[in-house]
Amino acid sequence: MSQEAVQLSLPGFEQAHGRWRTEYDRQIGTDRAIKNRSRIEIKPLYTPRDWNGDAFLDDLGFPGQSPYTRGIYPTMHRGRTWTQRQLIGLGTPEDYNKRVRVILDAGATAISLLPCNSGFRGVDCDEVDPVLLGTCGTVINTTDHMDRALDGVPLGRISTAMNDPSPFTLLAFLLAVAKRRGVPWSAITGTSNQSDYISHFIANHMFYRLSLPGARRVLLDHIAFCRTHLPGWNPVSVVGQHMQQAGATPVETMAFTISTALQYAQDCVERGMDIDHVLRRFTFFFDISISFFEEVAKFRAGRRIWARLTRERLGAKDPGSWRFKFHAQTSGVDLTEQQPLNNIARVAVQAMAGIMSGLQSLHTDAYDEAITTPTEETARIAVATQNILREEAHLCDVIDPLGGSYYVETLTDQMEREMLKLIGQIDEAGGMYKAAETGLIQGMIGQSALAFQEKVESGEEKVVGVNCYQDGNSAPPARPTERPDLARMDAHIARFKVFKEQRSQSDVDRALDALKRAANSARENTYERIVEAAAAGVTHGEIVRLLRAELGFGHPLVVV
Amino acid sequence: MDTPLSLSDTAREKSPTGSDIVERLAAGDPAALARCISLMETGSAAADRIHRRIVPKTGRAAVLGFTGAPGAGKSTLIDALIAALRAQARTVAVAAVDPSSPIFGGAILGDRVRMRRHAEDSGVFIRSVASRGHLGGLSESIHRIVDVMDAAGRDVVIVETVGTGQSEVEVAEIADVCVVVNAPNMGDDVQAMKAGVLEIADVLVVNKADLPLAQRATDQLRDMLKLRHDKRDVPIVETIAIKDTGVETLLATIGTLLAGRTSDKQKARERRARRLIAQAGSRLIYDRLRDHAGGEMEDLIKAAASGEIGIADAAQRALKVIG
Amino acid sequence: MTAGKLSPPARVLVTKIGLDGHDRGSRIVAAYLRDAGMEVIYTPPWQSIPAVVKLALEEDVDVIGISSLATDHLIVPKLLDALRAAGLGHVGMIVGGIVPEDERPALLAAGVAAILGPGSSRDEIIAQVTALAAKVQETKDAELGEIA
Repeated sequence: MSQEAVQLSLPGFEQAHGRWRTEYDRQIGTDRAIKNRSRIEIKPLYTPRDWNGDAFLDDLGFPGQSPYTRGIYPTMHRGRTWTQRQLIGLGTPEDYNKRVRVILDAGATAISLLPCNSGFRGVDCDEVDPVLLGTCGTVINTTDHMDRALDGVPLGRISTAMNDPSPFTLLAFLLAVAKRRGVPWSAITGTSNQSDYISHFIANHMFYRLSLPGARRVLLDHIAFCRTHLPGWNPVSVVGQHMQQAGATPVETMAFTISTALQYAQDCVERGMDIDHVLRRFTFFFDISISFFEEVAKFRAGRRIWARLTRERLGAKDPGSWRFKFHAQTSGVDLTEQQPLNNIARVAVQAMAGIMSGLQSLHTDAYDEAITTPTEETARIAVATQNILREEAHLCDVIDPLGGSYYVETLTDQMEREMLKLIGQIDEAGGMYKAAETGLIQGMIGQSALAFQEKVESGEEKVVGVNCYQDGNSAPPARPTERPDLARMDAHIARFKVFKEQRSQSDVDRALDALKRAANSARENTYERIVEAAAAGVTHGEIVRLLRAELGFGHPLVVV
Repeated sequence: MDTPLSLSDTAREKSPTGSDIVERLAAGDPAALARCISLMETGSAAADRIHRRIVPKTGRAAVLGFTGAPGAGKSTLIDALIAALRAQARTVAVAAVDPSSPIFGGAILGDRVRMRRHAEDSGVFIRSVASRGHLGGLSESIHRIVDVMDAAGRDVVIVETVGTGQSEVEVAEIADVCVVVNAPNMGDDVQAMKAGVLEIADVLVVNKADLPLAQRATDQLRDMLKLRHDKRDVPIVETIAIKDTGVETLLATIGTLLAGRTSDKQKARERRARRLIAQAGSRLIYDRLRDHAGGEMEDLIKAAASGEIGIADAAQRALKVIG
Repeated sequence: MTAGKLSPPARVLVTKIGLDGHDRGSRIVAAYLRDAGMEVIYTPPWQSIPAVVKLALEEDVDVIGISSLATDHLIVPKLLDALRAAGLGHVGMIVGGIVPEDERPALLAAGVAAILGPGSSRDEIIAQVTALAAKVQETKDAELGEIA
């Protein structure tokens, strides 16, 4: 807004501003430039001169209306609170079942399943040292395991988030269980939370199983399968979490994630799918860091960019396609091992930022997340945090409460500009797939990570209990570290071996042959065969091993 | 009479177990091979001694050089090729060369992990070599490293390099067959390939041959080959490394070239020795010219600085001055 | 940062065994060590023990740095046993990451030279690795005699 315009609508503004500035400069002492994590400079004060609402209808609008800056639905949390979706996974299927029943008894309608690291690696439980199993997720290698894990869980009435990357065997096991129980697949709802293979290639090597072209093929087959058989399932969750956890700034994270979504949308269109049909089932998954206002601005800018790009660039016509739906998790990277109880405060702040950004579902970390898998007690506090924010702080009463803040709107605009610049850069590199293949993105993230680390080392970026206020550091609690019961895990492995001996080997061989043929034929759908294989008693490790042989083993590009 | 190695020298080359390191190397002990490679990298007197002793044991191994831009899938291809070699019961040694940081001197050596299939196969010896400031791009000691791998009894020695600097020239000196790996992946054409690389290639590979632009890449390479000054018919092999497609053909092609190889190793050694002597010699002369004091030199410098005589002329005269 | 650089450069393996796959920390450490003049053989996670032993032997490494954030440190003693059996008992071992207090004594008793927690600074890490590599290089030189 020009100086005259401000002067006209706000007589005396200049003088008052000048007076404040003089006094500020006089009193502040040494004022150094402050930059947020996205390297945007933050001023001490924002005024109508920075943002004045002239562009309200174009840039903000109303909730549920393009460009959705203020929220994707008209009612947002006041109508329906965000979904509490706490990630769980540990030990044997029976261990998981115990935890999930507690959650469901408490009234949850959404569950999440996190597989054991052995699963991410692509092996079965009898292929690794037992002492390593079940510590970070649940060991599920067969349909029977899934059946036991979901014992008593009403599959047609709850929504499941599967934290399982390509080739999505866990969903295949779940579908086989549904068939067993007579639950129609049309009633199955949920999300393939970790379907974003590009983000795994870039920033979460643990989740990266198949080669880039192989993962691309399986994802498209998976999307096509879900279109036909699972109308209630979101096959695509574009993930910003891994990149931000790897050190990407909030601006970089949103830009890279949106670019990835554009890439997947393009791939689907090239395969002949209808863009609106595809986009309606796109969801996003982000981390929320403790840089409070920056996160709020990040999500609002992301919503606005997505609304415009889907329409203008992808030609989507259905408003459902323009809506930026996202699940968010409080960022474990901001939590500290030192003085762990402080993390409860951190998680609360992160959750607040996420809620006020208008997320659709939220996972809050337990305070000991940096050190170990949460216990029942720490998991309870994580959920209580969300309840307190909703019931006591009344964070649901107003939609987009920070909208209109001179600071938040200015920051949203600035971050949007930076994001669009990066998206343009990636366009020039040929799109996100190519940019990842050449290591361009990894290099940028690596630099941001190193820069942040150096700031922490030098003390410029303060972390309580780590490089300041360390006097509270007592010796850690003397309780012995909790480990999964080795005897129970050994029994689980033994039972698994017996299962393999007793199943029909001819069924297994037939299913694997069919999968192999499909992998080598562009006209067949590999995911159809994976689902059939799961029902035929084929194990997770067998499926992954075959696909790695036929479609390529996933070697992430390491850029140091 | 040649001065024999002093008793204490040979004693120093024995390990605590008492057997001589060169004997253990020749017997195929991988620990001895690893230690000898480290020694070769130091360029010390001990390294010289050991190298002299093992040269007679070299000449048996087939030496393959692999070069290609990052992203072409070179390491994946080598992984697949090694699998094919192992299926023929051949033993392999790989020297994977990566550049050292010119500023800090350190390096990240990450090539070997792409040869994942062979991570536990003792028939495949893999060594990561940092260039350690060697301006050529390869390492100064790479030919000695290849020699010890040869002397250790490995059937095939593979040198893998990114192809920076003049490394392709150095690879051509060491390798019996040079393979240059390309891929039609970046949307650009293979025109990005350096002219020097094309000159030394014995085999050209177009990897990721299932991509739509692969045929065009192959055609472009054929066109560029016509510009080669020796007009030799260089085979182009198409591969899909992640699926092992085309690898048998590549192996057969390399085999044919090895069988037909008439140039002998000694000539290659002599060519290399001449180049290294010229390089070392020019370093010596450079230092002496730069540091030489004295009246004659000062006069020459003044004359050149004022333009009285040209630089080339001054250089000729300066060489006579330092003798 | 260049003070105390070894010649020949220290050769350090930075790797992860076991099942955890988070490698942001180990990538940063690898960058630190490289910038301190060391040659770093960097592997992705999930390396098997036999693969690490073979690598340590072929690469003639001085120090192995294991990044452990979950339970992977529990199998470090097995790795040390395997290294000793292969004649690599002289190789130094440092474990970095999250290791509960009550599980540290077992590691140190098994031969781990140092355990560096998440609060360790870049300079500390470089100093520890350099000192350990120097000691190991001395041992190797003594075996082989004087190397000019």
